[in-house]
Order: sequence, then C-alpha cells, then structure tokens
Amino acid sequence: MPSLVFSDVWAQFDTLLSGLLQTVWISAVAIVLGVVIGVLCAVARSARSRILRALAAGYVEGMRNTPFIVQLFLVFFGLPGLGIQITAIQAGLIALTLNLGAYSAEIIRAGIEATHRSQIEAGAALGLRRRDILLHVVLLPALERVWPALSSQFVLTMLASSILSQISVEELSSAGALIDSRTYRSMEVYIILAGFYLGLTMLFRLSFDLAGRFLFPRRRAVAVRR
Amino acid sequence: MDEHNPSRRAALGALALGTAAAAAVTASTTTASASTPEEFTKRGSIAIGVVSGVPPFGIVNERGEASGYDVDVANLIAKYMGVKAEITALAPPARIPALQAKRVDLLVATLGPTPERAKTIVFPMPYSAFRMSIMGSNDLAAKSLADLAGKRVAVPRGSPQDTTLTRMAMPGTNIVRFDDDAICAQAVFSRQVDAAALPDTTVNQILGQNKGANAELKFAFALQPNSMAVRKDQMELHQWLNNTIWFMKNSGELDEISKKWLNAPLPELPVF
Repeated sequence: MPSLVFSDVWAQFDTLLSGLLQTVWISAVAIVLGVVIGVLCAVARSARSRILRALAAGYVEGMRNTPFIVQLFLVFFGLPGLGIQITAIQAGLIALTLNLGAYSAEIIRAGIEATHRSQIEAGAALGLRRRDILLHVVLLPALERVWPALSSQFVLTMLASSILSQISVEELSSAGALIDSRTYRSMEVYIILAGFYLGLTMLFRLSFDLAGRFLFPRRRAVAVRR
Repeated sequence: MDEHNPSRRAALGALALGTAAAAAVTASTTTASASTPEEFTKRGSIAIGVVSGVPPFGIVNERGEASGYDVDVANLIAKYMGVKAEITALAPPARIPALQAKRVDLLVATLGPTPERAKTIVFPMPYSAFRMSIMGSNDLAAKSLADLAGKRVAVPRGSPQDTTLTRMAMPGTNIVRFDDDAICAQAVFSRQVDAAALPDTTVNQILGQNKGANAELKFAFALQPNSMAVRKDQMELHQWLNNTIWFMKNSGELDEISKKWLNAPLPELPVF
C-alpha cells in the first residue's frame, strides 16, 4: 500500500469547495424541477386522455431504460446540432431534471395507485370538486406515503450529478479530477471525494426529512393498504 | 452533426474515469514487482503501458490489438532489453495511476514531462514529440493565442495542453476541461466551444475522419516532447532507458517510427 499524502490535495481546498457548492445548487435545482415533472407525469399516466397517458409512458420508459450518460451527451451535443445553444450547466440541469422526472413519476404513481377507491368516493360524497379530490385526497397523501422513496431518489440524483464532470461542468467530481491531474494523488483525492459525497448525502437526507415534516405537517398515521 | 457516436463517446468517457478509479483502488494488489533491467531479463518479460485512444500514438488495429507509435517504441525497448513486451493500453487519466499501482513496469504512453508530474514519477529524456495546436471552427478568425481572448477553448483535463495553455493564454480566455481529446473535438463540432487545444497529429487524424466538418487546424502554439515514465524506486531502469533512448536516436530507429506514424522526421528533442 503506497503511503497517503493529503497535504497536496488540501492545498487546493478552494477548488474542492467551489465544486461542492456547484454540486449542491445543481442538485437542488434539478430536484425541485424534477419532482414537479414527476408529479405532472404521474398524474398524466392516470389521466383520461389516451394520448396524454401514452406521452407520459413513452417519456418515463425512454428515460428509465437508457443510461444517464447517454442522455447527457444527447442533450449536450445534440441540442446545439438542432440550433439550440446551451451551456454545459444548462445541459446538465436539463438531463438531470428529465432523468429524475421519469424516476420520481414512477414512485409517485405507486403512491397514487395505493389510494383506496373508498377515499375518492368519500371525497365525492362530501361534495369536493374533482380538482380538490385529486389534490387533497389523492396527490398529497400519495406524496406523503412515498416521501422516503422519493428522498432516496433525490440522493441518487445528487450522486449522479458527478457524471456532469464529463461535459466540463466544474462540480465536485470534476474538481477532484482536476486536482488529481495536478497532484497525481489519486487515492487521496478519491478518498476525500467519497467523504464529501457521504457528508452531502447525510445533509440531503436530513433536509428531506425536515422538508417532509414541513410539507406534511399532519403527521397522521398513514394507513397502509394491501 | 458528424458521424461520431454519442454512446461510444459516453462509454469512452466513463471508461476513462472508471479505469482511473479502478487503477487507484487496486493500488494494493501489486503485480509488476521487478524493477531493474536485470530482474526483467531474469523474468523474461516487461509490462509496458501505452496510451489508448490517442491516434496515431495509441490506437486499436483491425485485429483488436493495441497498435501505434507507442507500441512500436515499446517493442523496440523490449527488444533492446532482450525480453518480451506485455503491452497494456491505458486511457490517458489511467496512465500514471497504473504505473504507481505497479500494474505496469514502465510507461511508453505519450506523456509530457511536466514538473507537476515529475513530483510523483521519473521521466527519462523525451522519445517523441508533437506540436500543441488550436483546432477551431472555420469561421473563427484566430492566428495566435491573443485572438482566443473571450473565446471558449476545450482542453483534455490535466493534459500538457491544459497546463501550457493555462500558463500561456491571454487573460479572458475561457478554458473548458473535458476528459479526453475526442470529447474536446466533439465540443468544437457541436459548437459548445469555439476551439480546442489538441496535438497537431490528433487534429489531422480527426479532420481526416470527418471530411466536411466545420473545423480546421488554426495554428501551433508549443512543441510538446513526450517521455517514458518509471516509478521513483526504479532509478536503475531510468538510467538504462536514457542510455537506450540516446542509442535509438543515433541508430535512426526512433526517426523511422516517427516517419511511419507521423509522416515527419523526429524533431530535435530536449535531452536531460
């Protein structure tokens, strides 16, 4: 085992820190936008319109059955070919958001499908409008039910943002690779990166837990339907 | 769009990152333990790492074997040592980690001898060279580095072009880092960047394969000599290599390899 020397790597802490911040904000934006797409798609998949259902299904299956790095390159190199100029960060955000949108759509759909018919009937009997039933009886309880699974998916999205280093986004992994290429302390760099990502994951989990408490304040016992 | 395949590109990029990480992780499982010419002769073989995916220095031939400038030099080295060369093709970011992890005994991998790299490994005197050059889209008017101010220029992360351009570039030049030459070229083709800093040999190869691509070789900005590399505990091998490189330069064998792969004689190389 070669001896580990971390001082060369710590000397470039500024690079690591700016990469870390880049990773945090890119992930945060992708998660917020991605979950919005996820909700819309999940609702669309149980819509009355057949076209809407097919469109949503096509998008979800297309994204879930291709590797993220391929999607990323298609956006980054493909859109400019169609005359749409985008920066690397924009391309990364688009790919991450679309990817998370598809995965979260499936998770949220599972939550929606777990809604018992009697709940909807009860809502209708109370004279709620269709829109209100969808929001208060179906969607919000569904999100509450699948929030832990969604949180895991959000963390996976944050970890996947490391792949944006491939298209020159200067996030955490990219900062690590740059320091590696300057210091040739590969083991040290990747040990530090692993620690940073571990810390980020815990930070993200904590904030999703807090966000869950804020978003679903009733803290009611969730009835598990079998 | 040109005919580059994005998924192949993706696979290459992922592979480069993966092998670098894997090489770093396998640092404790050593294989290449001999370190002096005498020990290699006793063993009858030497494990040599060459670069991969950098035409014409490291390519894969029709039979799927590693081939190119570096492989020819590696075989010549093995011939002078009187042993068999075991060639391993390495993606650029995986070269130095593979040497440090003792997966290979020696690198003949188109590696620029930079002071940063020389802190961790040892370079014999250079054995080949290329000219670092700027490839830009046809409508880019650039004749010198001064014209690149305010432009986005792609470089392979940590490459000699990265180090050199970072030092020489005019203020305002936006240097954008990718993982390898191919992605840099792709970024020029898709207009994600205005230009890329690449070896002239690579530019010629890329433009030869992409007739009609909206890009051309603009100008060269520095000569890049390439060195073999050994670990710090292999000073005896290092001295033997210096001796043998001088010999191969005098015998004209290195010049022949240069003419074969670059269509140009071996330029005057620095000696150290």
